[in-house]
Amino acid sequence: MLKTLNQKVSIFLILFAAGYLYLTYNLKEYPYVPVDSDFVPKILGYLLIILAVFLFFDKSSETEEEKEKRQVPKKEMLVLLAVGGMIFLYIFLLEIIGFVLSSMLFIIACSWFLGYRKLVTTFLVAVLFPLIMYLSFNYLLQIRLPQGVLPF
Amino acid sequence: MGAMEGLMQGIQVAFSWQGILFVLIGVVAGTLIGMMPGLGPISAIAIMIPITYGMDPSVALVMMAGVYYGAVFGGSTSSILLNAPGISGTVATSFDGYPMAQRGEAGKALAIAAISSFVGGTVSVVLLMLFAPALSAVAVSFGPPQYFALMFLGLTAIASLSDGSTIKALITATVGFMVATIGIDGQTGTSRFTFGNPNLLEGIDFLVIALGLFALAEICFLVKKRKDQSLQNQGDIGSLKLSKADFKEMRGPMSRQSFLGFILGVLPGAGATIASFIGYISEKKIAKNPKKFGKGSIKGLSAPETANNAATSGAFVPLLSLGIPGSGTTAVMLGAFLVLGIQPGPLLMADRPEVFWGIIASMYIGNIFLLILNLPLIPYIAKILKIARPMLISLVAIFSLIGVYAISFSTFDLYLLLIFGFVGYLMRLFSFPAAPFILAFILGGMMEQSLRQSLTAAGGDMMILISDPVSIGLYIVSILSFVVPIIRNRKNTQAEEADQESNAS
Repeated sequence: MLKTLNQKVSIFLILFAAGYLYLTYNLKEYPYVPVDSDFVPKILGYLLIILAVFLFFDKSSETEEEKEKRQVPKKEMLVLLAVGGMIFLYIFLLEIIGFVLSSMLFIIACSWFLGYRKLVTTFLVAVLFPLIMYLSFNYLLQIRLPQGVLPF
Repeated sequence: MGAMEGLMQGIQVAFSWQGILFVLIGVVAGTLIGMMPGLGPISAIAIMIPITYGMDPSVALVMMAGVYYGAVFGGSTSSILLNAPGISGTVATSFDGYPMAQRGEAGKALAIAAISSFVGGTVSVVLLMLFAPALSAVAVSFGPPQYFALMFLGLTAIASLSDGSTIKALITATVGFMVATIGIDGQTGTSRFTFGNPNLLEGIDFLVIALGLFALAEICFLVKKRKDQSLQNQGDIGSLKLSKADFKEMRGPMSRQSFLGFILGVLPGAGATIASFIGYISEKKIAKNPKKFGKGSIKGLSAPETANNAATSGAFVPLLSLGIPGSGTTAVMLGAFLVLGIQPGPLLMADRPEVFWGIIASMYIGNIFLLILNLPLIPYIAKILKIARPMLISLVAIFSLIGVYAISFSTFDLYLLLIFGFVGYLMRLFSFPAAPFILAFILGGMMEQSLRQSLTAAGGDMMILISDPVSIGLYIVSILSFVVPIIRNRKNTQAEEADQESNAS
């Protein structure tokens, strides 16, 4: 039934708008305000549904360039997920072991994983970049990045 | 205060040693970031925002302005050297810049780009100086209904002018607006769409959106293209010298496109991309031998470069005088203002003249820096393009994460950033433009406020929105901005069909 990509995206958007509207109708109401907090969200929810319906019936097909852009081999998808996972881990460790150490690990792991094999350069960047960033943020800009387990 | 007096005060800010130093840092950093594949002015400004915390606002904003036009210039460098435009505003630059570089005249192409940018930038700063105060004077009388109409125009204009499907642009704008409604409602105190999460009460920070949708999403594409070695083999740049004949060729496009680019930059939604394309096309139309275009024509390179820099300064007119950004980039710029506690708008010139005029004055210096400092440094700066992709990916990721962490100090925002990075990637896969999203997100809160203020003042009467000529005029322009392109497209497709039919028969 859903032939084109536009139709699939459109259904997703309609569901999203419906969920949003559901939340909107459950917002607390204030009796004495002429324009309550649900006024604008309601407009937006219905507007999105209308636009999604337009998209559903939009006949313009994708250009070749757009199609090509959308083709992502499975292997690449896994690589992307892995990088996402590494960023997730980085965020998780950031406040525990500190900015400097987690960034070092991230740079080494991420560059190695993506196929960078010059060890000396990797280590130089992995050590110098976080250290310079950390010191300049903490002492020049007065923005405290997570210290973690390091003593400075 | 007169313009001269104000400018003098601005010059004091811009020409202080701090001012000069930070303009320099801004321009160089902007060029570096803008040159990297995929990272444009939006990412450049967003990445640089954390550095401005704690700085004097006028100096900080002077630097951000430098980052902005530095990034536009950096984008043209990668367009010329590698045929890899960092941003859409410099795509037209690659049409003639890259063929020139292939002929071994990369240096000449860069020099033309730099001089054209300088002229375009400088002329439009003069125009900015004249127009921004005039527009502020008009805008002082605007109330919430007029502001609402103005922002409405900004959003519809960017949706109808952005590349690709208008309906998709409208959808992203609507979703961007929806994301802006998350958090405590300013007027009633109701917490909306927070799911009881205290981290969401204050809403989502614009940096999370800007860095997620632009920088992180771009990382995904870099990951896909990580084995691409094309950036490694750039040849010698060659001489930077231009002959008198070259200058003569540049004169025409530079003088015309400085003005045209500025006007297009002032208009909401248009901006550097459209200015550069229109600049290119219009010069091609009036050129004596248009066949040279696309094969390394000096005019064809000079036109888009002049236009995109002129549009960059032009975009500051609505931002500084109305407080309303007309494009994704100026929306992020507005975010930078707000982070520093400066509200641009008609009162800015009176309340904070040193900021208003400081930015304008710094643009003169910034443009000079671009010319005399960046140009000789380009062979060295271009080396950044040789950074291996895997390393670049890790560094950009860390920059984005730390940029967000430095304003919120919470890892919750970092997870959100990751989510928006993913959303941004999906949007690109399905060809949904991201600029309307960020503009709608930033305008969303302001639009809702002015809409509800107008309606509250009128006791809920919708007619207040169309009760004065200014608003009505703005709505008419918004509607036209939709209808005209649609009709034109119809005509074009009809013409094409007719063409095909006549070819077939």
